[in-house]
Amino acid sequence: MGGLLSGAWIDHTVNGLIVGNIYALLAVGLALIFGVSHLINFAHGSVYMVGAYIGWACFRLLDAPLPVTLLAVAGGCALLGVAIERIGLRPLAGSARIAPLLATIGIGLVLDQLAQLAFTPDPRALPSPLPDWRIQIGGGTIGALDLLIAGVGVGSAALLYGFLRFTKLGWAVRATALDRDAAQQCGVDVNAVNRAVYAIASALGGVSGLLVGMYYNAIDPYMGFQAGLKGIVAQLIGGMGNVPGAIAGSLLLGLTESYGIALFGTSYRNLFAFVVMVLVLALRPNGLFSRARQTPPEPLTGTFVAPSRPVRIPGWLLWALGIAAAALPLAVQNAYVLQTLGNAWLYAVLALSLTLVAGTVGQISLGHAGLLAIGGYASALLALDAKLPVALAVPAAGVVTAVLGTLLVSPAFRLRGHYVSVATLGIGEIVALVILNWESVTRGPIGVVGIPPLSAFGTPLLSAPWVYWIPLAAVALVAQVQARLLGSHLGRTLRAIREDEVAARAYGVGLDRYKGLAFGVAGFAAGIAGALMAHVYSYINHETFHAPISVLALTMVILGGLGNVAGAILGAVALVGLPELFRAAAEYRMLIYGVTLLLLIRFRPQGLLGTV
Amino acid sequence: MVSVARIAALAVALAAGPALAGPDPALVGVSGPLTGQHAQYGAQWQKGFELALDEVNGAGGIGGRPLKLQFEDSQSDPRQSVAIARKFVADPAIVVELGDFSSAASMAASPVYQAAGLVQFGFTNSHPDFTKGGDFTWSNAPNQADEMPVLADYAVGALGFKRVAVLYINSDWGRTSKDLFAKAATERGAAVVAAEGYLADEKDFRSALVRVRDAAPDGIVLVSYYADGAQIARQLRSVGLKQPVVAAGSVYSPKFLELGGEAVEGVHTTTPFFPDDPRPVVQRFVKSYTAKYGVQPDAYSSRAYDALILIAEVLKQYGTERKAVRDGLANIQDVPSVVYGTVRFDPQTRRVDKPLSTRLVVKDGRFALWDGGKAAAN
Repeated sequence: MGGLLSGAWIDHTVNGLIVGNIYALLAVGLALIFGVSHLINFAHGSVYMVGAYIGWACFRLLDAPLPVTLLAVAGGCALLGVAIERIGLRPLAGSARIAPLLATIGIGLVLDQLAQLAFTPDPRALPSPLPDWRIQIGGGTIGALDLLIAGVGVGSAALLYGFLRFTKLGWAVRATALDRDAAQQCGVDVNAVNRAVYAIASALGGVSGLLVGMYYNAIDPYMGFQAGLKGIVAQLIGGMGNVPGAIAGSLLLGLTESYGIALFGTSYRNLFAFVVMVLVLALRPNGLFSRARQTPPEPLTGTFVAPSRPVRIPGWLLWALGIAAAALPLAVQNAYVLQTLGNAWLYAVLALSLTLVAGTVGQISLGHAGLLAIGGYASALLALDAKLPVALAVPAAGVVTAVLGTLLVSPAFRLRGHYVSVATLGIGEIVALVILNWESVTRGPIGVVGIPPLSAFGTPLLSAPWVYWIPLAAVALVAQVQARLLGSHLGRTLRAIREDEVAARAYGVGLDRYKGLAFGVAGFAAGIAGALMAHVYSYINHETFHAPISVLALTMVILGGLGNVAGAILGAVALVGLPELFRAAAEYRMLIYGVTLLLLIRFRPQGLLGTV
Repeated sequence: MVSVARIAALAVALAAGPALAGPDPALVGVSGPLTGQHAQYGAQWQKGFELALDEVNGAGGIGGRPLKLQFEDSQSDPRQSVAIARKFVADPAIVVELGDFSSAASMAASPVYQAAGLVQFGFTNSHPDFTKGGDFTWSNAPNQADEMPVLADYAVGALGFKRVAVLYINSDWGRTSKDLFAKAATERGAAVVAAEGYLADEKDFRSALVRVRDAAPDGIVLVSYYADGAQIARQLRSVGLKQPVVAAGSVYSPKFLELGGEAVEGVHTTTPFFPDDPRPVVQRFVKSYTAKYGVQPDAYSSRAYDALILIAEVLKQYGTERKAVRDGLANIQDVPSVVYGTVRFDPQTRRVDKPLSTRLVVKDGRFALWDGGKAAAN
């Protein structure tokens, strides 16, 4: 501790500010977009990556000087932003708010894949043309680029502040942010406002990509995802949609990470970032720098999930489909098809779990991979260390996940809308990082080796039909339970919470208890799915259940129709099956997948089978 | 169910593929990342594979049959690598499988290959338990138990580090390497005064380096890949660290020099594969690689090349039956190798012993032999 108070303390502070500085560049753009469209733009990280590549092309291919390059990057990314708004988001204006969220995920995927195809996945150097002088501060130094980054961050925030305060278009932006319909009635061209906002935010995002690329002298097609995630966390700490708050939040995030490393070690960095975020959400959901302590009344209640008429599937057809699915291995011998469908059933259990909390209760969770991980590790460790038979370990893992998952998510119970999504995203990351760092139990980065296969009465069930049938049985069980639940008074209560929390509370519904119940059931299902995966894979580590699985699960649920039991299963089969179908396309297959996803959202935003 | 049936039908159609004229090719399945986070490594693999295919098929293939690859993109995701494994084992044309990249994806697929009796040959899989999957799981990935003492010899023995700080990527590979290195360094009389494990997608190392600095080491050891290794080297001086750096062989790549720039000047590393190595097998590889791609080969492309050449040799000598491949791997002797002097497997561990090791230092923007070192065939 003594060391901390001497020179190292100053160094850690400087380091924190430098990193926070970098986060701020992205957080400002995200805050601007959220302020106007109440949308977390998951494509923002990809715009940032595109900016870095435009900059690379200017430097390397055209030999352009830095100011020209900056202009080209800002211009190019502004155009990209306009295109994203026009092609990806405006057509969805009338549909549920969840559709644009998914569209930004799809656009990000497509942009990343295009960059990979155009520039190869190899990282590239992006040398900074700035003079390499450095200033000594404490034991370390800072360079010219650090100051330029700080200047761009603060300068752009100041410009934005002035723009929003003092210009007519700025007023229009703020009016649109406050109430889109009212603004439109007052004659504000809402579309023009959105276009302007996307252009500005994307230009800023692109410039940040260029600057950060120069800072690290490295760019690659996947640099956007992690950076975008940090930007989201930072703006959340500052208060969603609050531009100056985003900068303060970024610096605070940088400092927290730096001090966290100083006190506990390098591999705790992101753990601290996400714990702080969840704490802020739980204690001051409106951000640290906002006056109000409550979340703003998001105009989301009841509209987050689009009302639609679900496709009615007659009971006899469901039975026929179920029997056909069960009999499939008798007709199809191809082990690859059975394994792929078995995977689809495993994801269907996960999707069922998510559609209950996201669709029925309206808590859009982006942390379901965390529940999967808890289930997988619980079952693997129970089977290996406690010598429990697999047939007992799997349901036990379901119970563990139900309890632990509900406890972990409970701080998010008082949140609504996007805040729930971001909080659960953070909780999912926390689970992964705890698994990585809690070595005595989870074996840390080495992972769990030699997990026994699925078995019954001591006979291992390794062959493809069993890897198909067992998950299918889990799907049937969970779907049955869930259908019963939704048909009962509980289902009505849960949907009432989704439609209007205030009204539900006024009717005497204890919100926390019902949310807890829903997460308990969902946790049990997700835990079972994770446990089965662990026994099928035989080896798991902290990367087996990574964050993109949460996004994939949400995509399945939205694709099938939120809250729709049959839809969740259909969504899982489609999204596990599609990439396999496109296998012949090799490097292009994820691009085709992304485009397919965008088309589905565009033409069927309420999901294939409709929301319930 | 329509969609399911259609998926099934299409998948079968895709798996079958078009019929080929001429003798049936000897088909090698590859499961690896072509898209997703690890795509850069899959792309390096492909470069090495293509070169090896040109060479093998130019010399008459496998007893007159052309050697062919079926590269399936797994994104290094266990869900997909297991499905790919089912696909490969069900396809009688596949005689042996190479890959996957990450431990999570590779080891999830091992039981499928083992149960079906198809050799899974991992050439970058250094997880200590990888080959324990069964007698059909083989690997020629450098064994850390051999590699880390060599690194410790360099750092402690040759460069005289007494107080070592280790920065390692917090994965199965990095963690195992760090532990083995710490043991080897301690045995050689040095103390490990700091060990910092960082996350795989980390970009900022300043805070970690301040901790390293405050432990007052006299030398720094990196257990890193080339991108993160270059990043650490760049940030060293920003916290005022000037100690000598020794990096594990995995940084050996032209990209390390490109991304690190001036900052990697003076960094020491060891590599089993070095382009200036006079052995004819190395010179032939380097010449055809630079002719084809215009850049120097790196650790991943050279291992992919090496693995496929080795497999081709096994198929030539022992035939293309799946079981023959396993028996062949156990018996094959003295295959010339770029990465190893000659290859021979230990039939018990199913790994290769004693990789070569050359001591290098970055000098004037390129890897050069270290003056004080010698090209030691360990």
